[in-house]
Amino acid sequence: MQKNQEFYKNRRRIRPDGKAKVTGSLSYLTDLSFSNMLYGKILRSSYPHAIIKSINTDHAEKLYGVKAIITHKDIPGLNRFGIVTPDQPVLCEEHVRYVGDAIAAVAAVSVEIAEKALELIKVEYEVLPILDSPEKSLEKDAPKLHPEGNILHKAGFKTGDMEAGFAKAAAIVEETYQVPRQMHAYMETEGGVIVPEKDGAITVYVGTQHGYKDRFQLSRILDIPEEKIRIVSSPMGGSFGGKDELNIQPYGAVLALVSGCPVKIHQTRKESLIAGLKRHPMKITMKTGVDSEGRILANQVNIIADTGAYATLGPAILDFSVEHAAGPYMIPNMVTEGISVFTNNGVSGEFRGFGGNQVTFALEGQIDRLAEKIGMDPNELRRRNIRKVDDPGPLGHRIAPTNGAYEVLEAINKKLTIKTNQLKDSPPNDKWKVRGIGTAITMHGGGLGYGRLDPAGGRISLSEKGKIEIAFGFEEAGQGILGVIETIVTEELGCAPEDLSIVIGDTALVPSSGSTTASRGTSMVWHALQRMKGAFEQQILNKASAITSVSVSQMQLGRGGVFSITKANSYALLLTYDEIAKQINENETIVVSTNFDFPTTPDPVDGGHFLYTFGAVLAQVEIDLLTGKVKVIDLDQSIAAGPVVSTMGYIGQIEGGGVMSLGYTLMEDALMEGGKYITENLDSYLIPSILDVPFSMDTEAIEQLVEGDPYGPRGVGEIGTVAVAPAIAKAIHHAIGYWPTRLPISSEEILFASSQRRQRQWIKVRQ
Amino acid sequence: MDQGKAVSVQDSLKTDTKKWIQLKINNHEKKLEVDPTTRLVDLLRNEFKLTGTKISCGIGRCGACSVMINGSLVNACLVMAYQINNASITTIEGVAEDSSLHPIQQAFLEEGGFQCGYCTPGMIMAVKSLVNETLNPTDEQIQLALSGNLCRCTGYGGIIRAVKRVIAERVII
Ligand code: FES
Ligand code: FES
Repeated sequence: MQKNQEFYKNRRRIRPDGKAKVTGSLSYLTDLSFSNMLYGKILRSSYPHAIIKSINTDHAEKLYGVKAIITHKDIPGLNRFGIVTPDQPVLCEEHVRYVGDAIAAVAAVSVEIAEKALELIKVEYEVLPILDSPEKSLEKDAPKLHPEGNILHKAGFKTGDMEAGFAKAAAIVEETYQVPRQMHAYMETEGGVIVPEKDGAITVYVGTQHGYKDRFQLSRILDIPEEKIRIVSSPMGGSFGGKDELNIQPYGAVLALVSGCPVKIHQTRKESLIAGLKRHPMKITMKTGVDSEGRILANQVNIIADTGAYATLGPAILDFSVEHAAGPYMIPNMVTEGISVFTNNGVSGEFRGFGGNQVTFALEGQIDRLAEKIGMDPNELRRRNIRKVDDPGPLGHRIAPTNGAYEVLEAINKKLTIKTNQLKDSPPNDKWKVRGIGTAITMHGGGLGYGRLDPAGGRISLSEKGKIEIAFGFEEAGQGILGVIETIVTEELGCAPEDLSIVIGDTALVPSSGSTTASRGTSMVWHALQRMKGAFEQQILNKASAITSVSVSQMQLGRGGVFSITKANSYALLLTYDEIAKQINENETIVVSTNFDFPTTPDPVDGGHFLYTFGAVLAQVEIDLLTGKVKVIDLDQSIAAGPVVSTMGYIGQIEGGGVMSLGYTLMEDALMEGGKYITENLDSYLIPSILDVPFSMDTEAIEQLVEGDPYGPRGVGEIGTVAVAPAIAKAIHHAIGYWPTRLPISSEEILFASSQRRQRQWIKVRQ
Repeated sequence: MDQGKAVSVQDSLKTDTKKWIQLKINNHEKKLEVDPTTRLVDLLRNEFKLTGTKISCGIGRCGACSVMINGSLVNACLVMAYQINNASITTIEGVAEDSSLHPIQQAFLEEGGFQCGYCTPGMIMAVKSLVNETLNPTDEQIQLALSGNLCRCTGYGGIIRAVKRVIAERVII
């Protein structure tokens, strides 16, 4: 083990987009306005499942101020979208499958008039039976939601001899875990402006996590060539996976083309909640057996995912859950079966953690229960099964060697000892409050996985203005990719932040870099720079040498320009970047670009990952026995993801991810009844406020990689969300002896469980 | 359809209901003819193009639209035009003093008090209101003061560190 390089000197930079954010001067895409701009509104279905008998827009068209109304008849190209499988109608022709299905859209001179017009559109429906659970959808005579039936995807994994494993087990635990429909709740709801340009072209100023993919999908829908579509996709007020799929873009685009005017759509929170993606609710049954030494012998896993009405990335998410069902443990005998089922419940899709969070809650719950059953410390049980540096990945495939699992386990165990002693020394002095501490660990794949197109790339050039222009097709959703780019480029090249011009999030200006998802941005920026910096330095130095006649070997790039390093310790500015740029003649350029793929496993295992990050969480809870309220008072994490690029960015991802999952564990569920949302805004869908979180959290970065690791820093966008729920669940068990199996854990069940426990204790005392 | 929306179509189509109001925004006198039930947040964003004030829930739950009216913190999505006649309003655009950042803004920058930044203008207004009113706020007072402002990105860690720094540096605000 070695400390991996001196990554990076200045890791406490102020983000390049910071000043504009704290002063309110940054224009988000939903802040834009253009002259002659119209306002768009989308009519969504009144029913979760129905046949449209007729759509009448006559009345609405006559409303003063209405400039365009569109239905499915107005879609020029393919009336479908979906990142992988285009199965979701842009505007429904006949069959509506969820309450967010769009039927018509209006552009008018004001939001109010557009809303009024929606009220005037008459749609006749024939209501169909509602499939509001995967179980209902799987019944033999259930109506078919799609031509191929109600199963979106099945995935499985098998290794060893599971029955033989169980036969030898000293203890077996079987449990079913249920996890909720979490909403991304990005503070900026979906929206932006779509502007018609000359010659039938359009510019789409709408946030997304993959501009080129939106361009591809819109080209198909609008039936215009991709070159005529420009996607400006940054900045965004949060996304977390939720804006990866198309949302309002197709409606705005068609309305803009039909009306000939810029069209702004900015969904209200309620509209966003109804139409937007959610995290897949899952029911996961695990049966796990260990021997008396705590070695896991067998694990049987059954996953049912409620994928809602359309595919989006549902199949990949199920694959991810199946892959991560063994977590960071070496389990010799295992059968995992997963099924993702269409229902009339919203649309489930991509969300930070991507199927890992659900299955980790189940797996770590099993570990804790087994440890209790055989009377072993749970972290000792983990230690006995943890993967080693060169062990294969969870699907038996080769992965980049890593000791992250062991390192985070030991790190969190240390914290656990300290906190447990502190708790013993100073228990709460309120007899109605009890505390408990729990830990959990996880392993999480980055990138899209084997067999999935996962290209990356970037471009670096010396611009006419004398700036080092670095361009990536990534989006800034808040995660801090701009800061990451600035740190990596300035430190790798030795130039100053002022020398840089960073270009992202605009298909007219940037090369394709793949999606801004799957914790891949940081990793891909680093990889791209490794590939480009040598050639770029060479080109600049060659030019500088041509101008100054100093030999290339006696110069290097620095802050502000090229420096001479002729004599030892002499370091003088020879030429500024601007001076070099001015000397570049017309048919000359200084530009380097690269294209490559996210590293994947060499083994042909569908969806199998290669670069993994590891996380361990310690949660301490304080439970109010009178109200059942669970307050998380500590949420500390140890993360192994390679070198830290930006300290603030790293800590922010882990703390922010942790708190998002605190919400998942204790508060958040987009409740549906009969296919309709009951929660409609942030008054009933509660996300953590400052009162719900620990006042301070501790993030420990384990930066060392195995010796010779060539893959650099890994992304940490997701890892901080993954193992939070099981740590909190274990802490609750530690406090009151109750094992939660369902998220979010309610105060009612805590109250019930703790009062039952007290009754039992009371009875014991009397006997 | 739009929760918390105060403007009805009938009203917006009628022009005779419009009223003149006079107010100060970030110390600039403004006078305009407006439907009395227009939400302040829409007025700021659409009429005055002060888009630093954000909108997220529209029902007073998230604080993204926080501004100060006569020095008190309010949610601009819950205030209507007729309520602000003769009022003095401060928005995020009015916080920095002559091109230098306010110490709260500087602390947010240096402590990672934001990520996507969408909650940030409202959050900074809430912090400003806190430090204006309380000389040396306790942890509980910080929590209470910011409890109406939701942030989905940071988990509040960086925000708390920023506020603590503002207090620690005993900046006279
Ligand atoms: S938009 Fe005003 S409080 Fe949420
Ligand atoms: S920084 Fe994104 S919501 Fe607070």
